[in-house]
Amino acid sequence: MSSDTLAGGGPAARPTPLRGPGRRRARAGLTVLAIVVSVLSIFPVLWLITSALKPREAVTDGKLLPDDVTWENFRYVLTEVAFDRWLWNSFFTAAIITVLALFFHSMAAYALARLRFPGRDGIFVVIFSTLLITPPVILIPLFIVVREMGMLDSYAALIIPAIFNAFGIFLLRQFYLGIPRELEEAAIADGAGYWRIYRSIILPLSRPILSALSVFFFLANWNAFAWPLVATSSENLTVTQVGIASFTTQYGSNWNYILAAAVVAVIPMLMLFLFFQRQMVESIKTSGLK
Amino acid sequence: MLQHGNGAVPARGAPSRRRFLGGTAGAAAATAAAATPLLSGCGGSASADGGTLKFWHFYDPKASDPAMVAQSKWFDQLIKGWNDTHDVKIEPYFVPGVSYQGSKMVTAFAAGAGPDIFLLSPGDFTRYYNGGILADLTPHLDDGVVEDYGTSLTSRTVDGKVYALPMEVEPLAMFYNVPVWEKAGLSEADIPTTWDQLLDTGDKIRSKTGAAGLVFHTDPGYYQNFTWYCWMWQGGGEVVDKAGNVAFDSKGARQALALWQDAVEAGIAPRTLPAADDRITAFTSDLAGMWQIGIWEVQAFKAGAPDHEYGVFKLPVPPGGEYTTTLGGWSFCASTQGANPDAAAEFCGWALGGMSDESIDRTVEWCTGVKSDISPRTSALERGAERGGYDSWAMKTFKEDIFPGGRAEPRYPPIVYKAISDAIQATMLAGKGVDGEADRAAQTIDAFLKSYQGASLI
Amino acid sequence: MTSIATQQARAPGAAAAQAAPAGRRRLGRKGRERLAAALFLLPDGLGLALFVVLPMLLSFLLSFFQVSGFGSYEWIGVGNYERMVNDPYFWSSMGVTAKYVVLMVPTLFVVSLSLGVLMKQMLPGMSVYRTALFLPHMLSLVVVGLLWKFMLDDQTGVVNKAGGELGLGARSWLGDPGLALYAVIAVTVWYYMGYYMIIFLAGLNEIPRELYEAARIDGAGPWTSFRRITWPLLKPTSFFVLIVSTVAAITGTFDLIFVLTDGGPANGTAVAMFYIYQQAFVFGEYGYAAALGSFLVLVMVALSWLIFKATKGGRFDDE
Repeated sequence: MSSDTLAGGGPAARPTPLRGPGRRRARAGLTVLAIVVSVLSIFPVLWLITSALKPREAVTDGKLLPDDVTWENFRYVLTEVAFDRWLWNSFFTAAIITVLALFFHSMAAYALARLRFPGRDGIFVVIFSTLLITPPVILIPLFIVVREMGMLDSYAALIIPAIFNAFGIFLLRQFYLGIPRELEEAAIADGAGYWRIYRSIILPLSRPILSALSVFFFLANWNAFAWPLVATSSENLTVTQVGIASFTTQYGSNWNYILAAAVVAVIPMLMLFLFFQRQMVESIKTSGLK
Repeated sequence: MLQHGNGAVPARGAPSRRRFLGGTAGAAAATAAAATPLLSGCGGSASADGGTLKFWHFYDPKASDPAMVAQSKWFDQLIKGWNDTHDVKIEPYFVPGVSYQGSKMVTAFAAGAGPDIFLLSPGDFTRYYNGGILADLTPHLDDGVVEDYGTSLTSRTVDGKVYALPMEVEPLAMFYNVPVWEKAGLSEADIPTTWDQLLDTGDKIRSKTGAAGLVFHTDPGYYQNFTWYCWMWQGGGEVVDKAGNVAFDSKGARQALALWQDAVEAGIAPRTLPAADDRITAFTSDLAGMWQIGIWEVQAFKAGAPDHEYGVFKLPVPPGGEYTTTLGGWSFCASTQGANPDAAAEFCGWALGGMSDESIDRTVEWCTGVKSDISPRTSALERGAERGGYDSWAMKTFKEDIFPGGRAEPRYPPIVYKAISDAIQATMLAGKGVDGEADRAAQTIDAFLKSYQGASLI
Repeated sequence: MTSIATQQARAPGAAAAQAAPAGRRRLGRKGRERLAAALFLLPDGLGLALFVVLPMLLSFLLSFFQVSGFGSYEWIGVGNYERMVNDPYFWSSMGVTAKYVVLMVPTLFVVSLSLGVLMKQMLPGMSVYRTALFLPHMLSLVVVGLLWKFMLDDQTGVVNKAGGELGLGARSWLGDPGLALYAVIAVTVWYYMGYYMIIFLAGLNEIPRELYEAARIDGAGPWTSFRRITWPLLKPTSFFVLIVSTVAAITGTFDLIFVLTDGGPANGTAVAMFYIYQQAFVFGEYGYAAALGSFLVLVMVALSWLIFKATKGGRFDDE
């Protein structure tokens, strides 16, 4: 049973217990259901794309298909503003944050889930409690901390504070709790140290969940706005969402440009998702264990 | 400033506890900072790099709208003019409009890293003044300037001292959409002058064309209050009377609340803004027949829909009422906590507070050259008119019909603002009783005023 | 086993362990495990302490100050908390938050779990559906707000148009205080369902397939195997989703509300976080906002504790 069948949807063996004509009917029903929810989910996004092709005065006309298709919004976004720079800044910061965060979080989660040491639960509770921050409330203190470290208005300000987040540690810990202990015992019997267990057992087993997390982290930082806005002021550090915000002014907003920019900004994310999605839904048990 | 059961107002500009937060954070961060010397980039705080003063504004130098680019250039030229003749240098810094008054500025100020010079809206004046951030500009004004500005300075003055210099005056009026009016069988002769006529006209538009008959601002916020005050004033209503006591629970306030409520309940005024508040689109797509907007929309039409036919008329009046409108507009301010508050204040005075031709022309250029506004200075208004700045029909209507009789946007602190905002929202959109809401707001304001110490609210 | 392990002792960062003094190597198995745990926890521990815990503590400290918003701080003891107790706006915003959480979180949980289970079935075109369901989450909340503002528009919105086709009257989804919160909830569920679906899928994939095969041989139907296998074995994931979505519902929705309704109409969507943001960044009442924020953290701690208790710690095994 390879992971390919899981991701690709081939007609091989599967977990559903149904068999025979009843099963076929049920599958047809489920397929219809899947199509319906997908359409519901995607419709507003389609609407976003077609609206981005409308001239300014038609953006809010409520029609799915534009009367006149114009590429002007995309032309403006791609040529008149430093959109490439914004995208690059977002990409660069999000990529570094994602890689470092995955690495650090999986290490911490491994310790919290698989190692025995005094105060483990206490430390977990403290880490967990950082999940409960109310972001706007810590914005000003965080700004001051980062300023005192001399990092304001630099890539470091965009990257370093964004790495640390209990979400990833918590999710990974929940997954590591489920890994059968025999795997580690066997490795220890083979004489492996903890670093090697982490590298050669835990990390490979986490591939699906790390793939999902890498999409989540990248996405969250790709769309970051509040922190980059206050932490940077140089033009060459502008990230995508902060740049897009400049299309909204005191005296009216160019919704057409905002929509076009949103469409352009979603393309790299879509590619990333498609790239990772096969690994994301792979089964840990089938890929890692025999 | 907004003390509750605690009467102390922080001494203006007292630096005693300012660095407390920075100090604590600094001590804790020091170890880590030392461990990561590679990461410390260039410091970004305006005040930190000493020499140059930062001037924050929200006019995008790279905007798609050529008018905004021209406005941004006006700032550049102004700053260049200063830098060419002064030792202390100034640098412009663009902050996107949505964020200007939001987290960016607040965070920077709270951390002592705010701008040296910035633009302030009237609604925020009291909060900034009471926070001790506004530098006194009076010493840097030429003789006769205060008189030249006249009433446009009233809401920026405390105890005879000027703390902000307005760059523009923006009156509110009713804009109407000619194609929609024609569809509804209406013409210029149908321009309403009373509230009843206003509702009638709106009703005709709604029933005959399906467009929103009459748009009042719907989203809660300072801006909605700003657009509402004039309706209250027209019937003699006040929030705070001349003696400084609450006067909100009055006929004037109640009938203004009722006007908006009636308009919404009759379906004449929409509950949300057509075209998500993009007025140009709402007009060109026949979504709205009338909309209460400010003079700035003249410029927006010129840039966004130069061929679209629209009209402007002054706000209708209630029976026995007297015409007035709210006057908005931003002003220059200098921070007391910047790198060089004196130079910053001097800059504001130099830019907009001189009696020289150069200084007056700056206002003329701003209000009639790169923007479409009423000038806050008599001299500049006359000069702008001489140069044809108010020759177009729209600007002429604004200067001659709409602006006279107008009244500056009040400077109520947050709690007063919020009490009024709640009354407007509850009556307009939640169908709550006008009397009850006016009474409730009056009580909230009254309780607040009892302990309030700070800039006078009249 | 012990001798081999000692021989091959490797702490995290093999090099570090190698370079350690000889004494370190003679640590017992317990000692090595502790050392390893400390080193594994070090990077995240430091980072969280500096960039999350420290700002949290500072903000808690500030809640005892009157902050003018312009860098002046004055100690007022519990003044901000006293003000909170008597602030009707705050309590009404807590009411809105409670309603939002109670309606939104279970809906989101059921929808995304159902989607996860559905997407686990091997249907043709599965990866297309998965992408379609996750696509909304790729947009920024500002764009999502804008998009739905257009779709829910009174005059031109597609929702009212579709309603008109079906003979339903037009409604002001975002302008009617009785509807706006539901509209916000619907948009939130739409935005997050694909996200939590992915998390559920990851959890579902951990469940050994053999269990289902065995259940089938025993004659169990789909519902029985869901109840007997999926649900119990999915507990760590469910626990995670429940906690994270509750926390996100309390702390994370305000930017969407900003775009959609600005807290209106008539405070109908003014959740606590929105009110706190307003106090901090519109009214410049930072100390008061910090007090409200600290109180909210307390509420979340209590809620998490309840969820923790109810799910027995969300642990997979009984350790």
